[in-house]
Amino acid sequence: MSRHIPTRLGTALSVARKELRVVLLSPSGWVFLTAALFLSGVFMVRSMTTIGEASLRPVLADLSVALLFLLPWLTMRQLAAEARDGSLELLLAAPVSPGAVVVGKWLSSLAVCALLLLGLCGHVAVLALYGSPDWGVVLTSMGALAAVCALGSAAGLFASSLTRDPVVAGVLGTLFVLPLWLADGLSVAVGEGWSSVLASLALLPHLRGPARGVLDSADVVWFAVWTAGFLLLSWRSLESRRWR
Amino acid sequence: MIEAQGLTRRYGAVTAVRGLDLHIDGPGIVGLLGPNGAGKTTILRMLAGTLSPSSGVAKVAGHDLLQAPIEARASVGWLPETPPLHHELTVGEFLRYVAELRGLPRAERLSRVGDVLVLLELTDREGQRIGALSKGLRQRVGLAQALVHDPPVLLLDEPTSGLDPHQIEGVRRLITRLAEAHTVLLSTHVLQEVAALCDRVLVLHKGELTGDGTRQELAQQAGLSDGVELWLSAGPEQATRVLSALDVVSRVEHTGMSEGWQAYRLHGTPDLAPSVVSAAVGQGWSVGRVAAAPVTLEAVFHALTAAA
Repeated sequence: MSRHIPTRLGTALSVARKELRVVLLSPSGWVFLTAALFLSGVFMVRSMTTIGEASLRPVLADLSVALLFLLPWLTMRQLAAEARDGSLELLLAAPVSPGAVVVGKWLSSLAVCALLLLGLCGHVAVLALYGSPDWGVVLTSMGALAAVCALGSAAGLFASSLTRDPVVAGVLGTLFVLPLWLADGLSVAVGEGWSSVLASLALLPHLRGPARGVLDSADVVWFAVWTAGFLLLSWRSLESRRWR
Repeated sequence: MIEAQGLTRRYGAVTAVRGLDLHIDGPGIVGLLGPNGAGKTTILRMLAGTLSPSSGVAKVAGHDLLQAPIEARASVGWLPETPPLHHELTVGEFLRYVAELRGLPRAERLSRVGDVLVLLELTDREGQRIGALSKGLRQRVGLAQALVHDPPVLLLDEPTSGLDPHQIEGVRRLITRLAEAHTVLLSTHVLQEVAALCDRVLVLHKGELTGDGTRQELAQQAGLSDGVELWLSAGPEQATRVLSALDVVSRVEHTGMSEGWQAYRLHGTPDLAPSVVSAAVGQGWSVGRVAAAPVTLEAVFHALTAAA
């Protein structure tokens, strides 16, 4: 008798839908959205009152760093809580690819981030109401924020795959993204040899182009490589659960 | 339906399952019996595909768990000791999610979820959050998720653990019904469960199979046979000495006092009763009762799991 085998896409979408539902039914998703929107509002007000510029440019770096550190707390339970509660057995026993499960979990975080970006459109509307924003900068800034969300979600998911304790996963995720933030400042402080290595790790240089409305393929590749790297590690980590 | 050859699982320096050879065919209930830590859950997890063996081969419904893991997992319904549930979802949402993970086409998905809700008597709970259900109901939802894709093989780890007597009875009735069309391998350390449900029992001890068969076959493997229950006026020391000396008797157990008599259980040749009674009367002892004493599953279990 032939058995049903789900497609990878079908699995990823099923997992994403379920995760999104669970996040929106629990406080974690709403706390994340509230905190991120509150911080973005604070950054916007500060930027408009001190710089007087109708643009997302002054807030992009601050908001990106804030998101990078908030996202591991959104993703911390994605695999860790499943391992702790025993529901991971459901995924491991199902005829599905661990890669599709990882992508599904990651997509659910991106969906929450899409709600955040939708909320940020409110800020853009205020800019448009009282000034004349550069729409190119708005678009590239939104794109950069989406890329930061993709990277932070992937890093948080990898942290969540390493432990059964969601809080430990949150701390680990924060530690994973910390070097990306610190590297920019450190690259200035260290000697010539290490400076270029640290600069290549740093997040902030890759936000400068989008903040000016410039879309550079090097920035796109930087975000894509880090995101894909963390997703790949999450996949291997989930697969290795069968061996632990 | 389930085959294993040399299946071994090590956790670091500890070998949890050692060289398991297994062949289970057709529908029915096979019990996996053993003390805590014997390796029951490890075996079930390996067969469910959630744990990889350190060495050896296992096949489920003809699919090799290492060579064709997806197909093998598609043929198994797995209920771990802690049911794998999402407490935030309703029963219906959860079962539809599991049906999606199992790859059921949309139309079939809805009808199968409806079928298992009816089968598990959960229809009126479909809209209830799993986190709000009692332990017994959550166990039924756990069974429902294992059945939603109608797998030929069901692996159940301690399915009645933590349930009250009414719930235990209900789950046992259900498993008996399921066994008409499924191969059920269930682990337990509850002997009554095995006696009530299983056609065949696998006894595990320290990761090794020490017995395999029906209760009678296990008794033979343990070197035990049906015996005789005897009530005598004589005390344990004297009776044990005299009765043990008889050729037909291999073992004498003093089982305590019963209605004022000293009670003994004797094992030996099938026709030992007349010789024993003659010997007792010859000693001038009164005999209060002579009855057949079938070998118990408890005695078999102790014999097969007593080795160091």
